[in-house]
Amino acid sequence: MSTAIGPDAAAVPSVDDVPESQPIAWRHRHLLDVDRLSTDELDLIMRTTDAMREVLARPIAKVPALRGRAVTILFYEASTRTRVSFEVAAKNLSADVVNIAASTSSVVKGESLIDTVRTVEALGAQMLVMRHSSSGAPYLAADIFSGSVLNGGDGWHAHPTQALLDLYTMRERMPGGSLAGRKVVILGDLLHSRVARSNIWTLTAAGADLWLCGPATLVRGFEAWANRGAAGRRFHLTTSVDEALRDADVVMALRIQRERMAGGLLPSMREYAARYGLTRERLALARPDALVMHPGPMNEGVEIAPDVAAGPQSVITDQVTNGVAVRMAVLYLLAGTRVPS
Amino acid sequence: MTGPAVDLEISRAWLVDPAAGREGPGEIVVRDGVFEAVTWLSGAEADGIGPDGVVIAPGFVDFHVHLREPGNEDAETVATGLAAAAHGGFTTVCAMPNTDPALDEPGVLTQIRAAAAASGSPVELLAHGAVTAGRTGEQLAAIGELADAGVVGFSDDGAPVRSATILRSALAYAGALGLPIVDHAEDASLTGGAEANDGYVATVLGLRGWPTAAEVAAVGRDLAVLADVVRDVPGARLHLTHLSTAGALDLVRAAKAAGLPVTCDVTPHHLGLTDEWLAGARRWAWEAGDDPWSDGALVGPPYDPSLRVNPPLRGRGDAAACLAALLDGTADAVATDHAPHTEVDKAVEFGLASNGISGLETALGILLAAVDAGRLPLLRAIGALTTGPMTLLAGRSRREAAGLVEGTAADLVVFDRSASWAVTPESLASRGKNSPLIGTELRGRVLLTVAGGRIAYEAPDA
Amino acid sequence: MSGRQIMTADEIRRATIRLSHEIVEKQAGTDGLVLIGIQRRGVPLARRIAASIAEHEGAALPVGALDITFYRDDLSMVAQQPVVKGTELPTGIDGKTIVLVDDVLYTGRTIRAAMDALVDFGRPQAIRLAVLVDRGHRELPIRADHVGKNVPTSREELVRVHLVEVDGLDEVEIERMVAAPQPEPVA
Repeated sequence: MSTAIGPDAAAVPSVDDVPESQPIAWRHRHLLDVDRLSTDELDLIMRTTDAMREVLARPIAKVPALRGRAVTILFYEASTRTRVSFEVAAKNLSADVVNIAASTSSVVKGESLIDTVRTVEALGAQMLVMRHSSSGAPYLAADIFSGSVLNGGDGWHAHPTQALLDLYTMRERMPGGSLAGRKVVILGDLLHSRVARSNIWTLTAAGADLWLCGPATLVRGFEAWANRGAAGRRFHLTTSVDEALRDADVVMALRIQRERMAGGLLPSMREYAARYGLTRERLALARPDALVMHPGPMNEGVEIAPDVAAGPQSVITDQVTNGVAVRMAVLYLLAGTRVPS
Repeated sequence: MTGPAVDLEISRAWLVDPAAGREGPGEIVVRDGVFEAVTWLSGAEADGIGPDGVVIAPGFVDFHVHLREPGNEDAETVATGLAAAAHGGFTTVCAMPNTDPALDEPGVLTQIRAAAAASGSPVELLAHGAVTAGRTGEQLAAIGELADAGVVGFSDDGAPVRSATILRSALAYAGALGLPIVDHAEDASLTGGAEANDGYVATVLGLRGWPTAAEVAAVGRDLAVLADVVRDVPGARLHLTHLSTAGALDLVRAAKAAGLPVTCDVTPHHLGLTDEWLAGARRWAWEAGDDPWSDGALVGPPYDPSLRVNPPLRGRGDAAACLAALLDGTADAVATDHAPHTEVDKAVEFGLASNGISGLETALGILLAAVDAGRLPLLRAIGALTTGPMTLLAGRSRREAAGLVEGTAADLVVFDRSASWAVTPESLASRGKNSPLIGTELRGRVLLTVAGGRIAYEAPDA
Repeated sequence: MSGRQIMTADEIRRATIRLSHEIVEKQAGTDGLVLIGIQRRGVPLARRIAASIAEHEGAALPVGALDITFYRDDLSMVAQQPVVKGTELPTGIDGKTIVLVDDVLYTGRTIRAAMDALVDFGRPQAIRLAVLVDRGHRELPIRADHVGKNVPTSREELVRVHLVEVDGLDEVEIERMVAAPQPEPVA
C-alpha cells in the first residue's frame, strides 16, 4: 500500500472502491492456537495486517491504538526474533511493554506458571504474550489470566503468529492474493515443529495444496493427520523431497536441531543436508518463481543453502517485517475484544 | 471408633450377586452386621422392580489404589482414601507401596493399619509390599517378612520392576509364598519424556508420544520371564495391572490360553475415556469418532492436566480392547489405580503434571455408563468389581464371601441407577480432586456402603 | 431503513458545491489546499468537493484518505472491531492547509483522533474542518469551519448519511436508536 498519491482525484483511495461488507465480529479473547479460527477470521487478521503495514510505512510508524495498555512478554524459552517482534509490535501501538525472561525471573526459584501469571496480572498486565517449552502451557495461563493471552510458541504445539505471518507473506506474493490450489511445501523436522503444526491449520484453511516432507523419523505421526486432515482438510505427506518440490509454488524449510542426532533420529547433519537440504539444484524442481521461506533462525548449509536463503526467490526478510505487522494486528484485535467485567 | 454393627432391611431392590451368577428383584435383611436374609423375589412380588432403579451389590474390591500415606498426606491420607473408597462403593482396597518411605518392610504396614484403625472407617485396608528395597529396582525388599505381615502381593508400581533379572527372582521368591508380583508394564526406554498416547491426537497437540509398544514390549518380557520361572516354581504368579493396550491384552489372552498363571486388570478410565479428551472432547470411548476436530466433539479446553496418567489414555481401539477383555475374562478385574494428587502437582503445564487420576469415586459411574450404552452387562460390571478382584487376594481378605451370602458379615453397596450426581471437587471425599470427570454428571449415585457389617458411607439425604 | 429523510440527493449536491466555494473563499484561492476525507464517507465527500473546485476554479487539489481507527479512544467499548479501511495521504502535508472532510460532526472525538493522526504525518500550516451535517452535542472544544447543514438532534437519535459511492444512493436520514445485541467474546 502506498502513502503517495498524485493530485488526480480518480486515483485516490482504492480501498474505498471495496463495497461495504458485513463487519466480522472478532470474538476471541485469546490467541492460543489457530485450529479454531474461521476463514473469515483469518481474512480479518490479514486485512488488519494490511492496515498495520501501512502504519509501518508512515514517517512515524506509531499509532496510539493501545495507549495505556500494559503488555507483558513472558518467555520461558530463549528467543530473540519473536520476542523483539512482539515488543516492537506492541510499542508501535503505544502499549506499555514489560519483558520477563524466564532465566532472570523467580521462575528459576521454582515459582509455578500459575503463580507467575498471577503476579504479572497483579502488576497490571492486561495482555500476556508467552512462550513456553511445554505444549499447551498458554491454555493454563489463559484459564486464570483475566486479560488476553497470546501464544508466542508452546512446545511442539503451536506458533500462531508465525503461521499468520507466513500466510500473509505467501498471500502477498501470490497473484490474486489467493493460495487456493497452490502447492506449498514444508520441508524438514515436522515432529518437533510448532511452526509446521500451526501452518497446517492456516494453509489448509486457505485452500493450499499442502505437502509435508522430511525424513521418516521426523514426520512420524503425521500420516494419520494427513489422512484425516485438519478438520477434514487433507494434505500430503512424503519422505521424497523430489516429489514434494516438483512444481511447488512455495517451499518453507524448517530448522534442524543438533539434538536430533543424540535422540537417534538422524545419522548426521551432513547426511540431512545431503538428502533434505534446500539447495539451488533441488529448488530448480519447483516453479521458477517459487517462494523460499524459513521461520528462522537458520542453519545455513544444513536445511537451507546460503545462496538459496539469500537468493532472489527468498522472502525470508519479508517474513520478519510482516511478523511485526501481523503481531500488531493480533494485539489490536484482541485489545478490542469485550471482556466481561 | 468404628460404628456399631448395622441393622438394615431393604425391600424391593434389584440384587446383583456375581458370586451366585445372578441378578434380579430381591430383598435383604442385615441383623447385627450379618446378612440374615437374602431373598430373591419372583412373580407378583417382583412387579415393578427393574435393574434401572435401586441396586444392591456386594461391596467392591479395588486391587490397586494409592493412599499416599506415609509421606504425601497433602494428596491423600489413609482416612480420606478410605472415605473415598466408601463413597465409591468399595469395601476393600489394596494400597500400593509407593509411599515415602516405601512399604518395603512390615513397619510401614503397621503404620498404615494403625491409621486405618484410627480413621474409624470399616473399609478393609490391604496392601501390596514393594518388590525391591526402596523401589529402586536393585535389591529384593523384605518379601518374606511382608508376606508374614499379610500383604496381598508385591509391586514397584509407579514404575515397572526394572530388570528382568529382579523380576525373575521376585516371581520365584514370592511365588513360593503363594503371592503374585503385580507389575506396571512399561518399557521405559520407549517412554522417556512421553506425555500422551502416541497417535493422531498427540501429533496434533504436539505432545510427546507414548507408544503402545512400551506396554506390549514390557508385557512380553514379563510373560517370557514368568514362563521361565513357573517351570521351577509352580506357585509363581504374575498380575499385570492397568493394562491399556489391545496388544498387551492379546498377549495375556494367549498366555492364559497356554496355561500361564497370569492375571490382569484394566482401569475404568482406560476403558471409558480416550486420548481425544486431551483435545477437549468429553465423550465416552464407545462414542468416539475419527476426528474430534471435525465432528464438533471439542467442548472444553485442551491439555487438562487431570488427564495426564500413566499409562496414558489411549485411542478408541485400545479402549474397546479393554472392554472386550473384561467381557471375555482376559481381564480379571477392574482396578481404579486411584492416584490422588495435590493441586500443586496438577495445576501445572500438562507435561509437568504428575501422572494419575483420582478414581475411586467415579469407577462405578464409568462402568454404569458402559452398561447404559449396552456395552457391558450389569452383572459383569459388578463382577469385575467384586468376584474378580476377590480371587486376586490370595485369601488374605477378612471377607468370607465375595457375594451376598446369608450368615456372613455384610459387605454391600446400595446405589440408585436412576439418580445422577455431579462430580465436583466438593463432592469427592478424596483429597485428590484430579478427576477429568469433574464438571460432568454420572449415573448411579451411591446411597449406602456397608463394610464388615458397619456403615462406611451413607448419602446425606438417603 | 425506518428513518426520516432530512436531506435529499439534490440538497446534498448543493451543500457540497457551497462547501467547495466556502473553502476556496476562506483560503483566498486554492494554493496550498489539501482535502483529506475521514474514512469512510468523508472520502467520497472530499472527492466531490475537489471535483467541484476543479470545475469552478480549474485547479486539481490533492485528495487523501485518513483512517482514524487506530486513534480512537474507545477501543474497549466497541463490541465488534471496526474494519480498518486504510490511510492514503498525498505526499508532504508540511506547510499545507489541510481541510478535513467528514459526513457528520457529533461529539468531536473523531475529529480529535483525525488531528492526532494528521500530526503524525507532518506539520500542516493549518487544519480546517468541513462537514456535511453538524448535529451538535459536542464533547470536545471543536467546531467546523464549513457546515453543509445544521441539524438539531437528540442523543437518542442516529444521523445516517448515505452516499452513492458507498451506499448506492444519496440521502441523509435521522432515526431513533435501537440497542443492538452485542456478541459475547469467546476464548
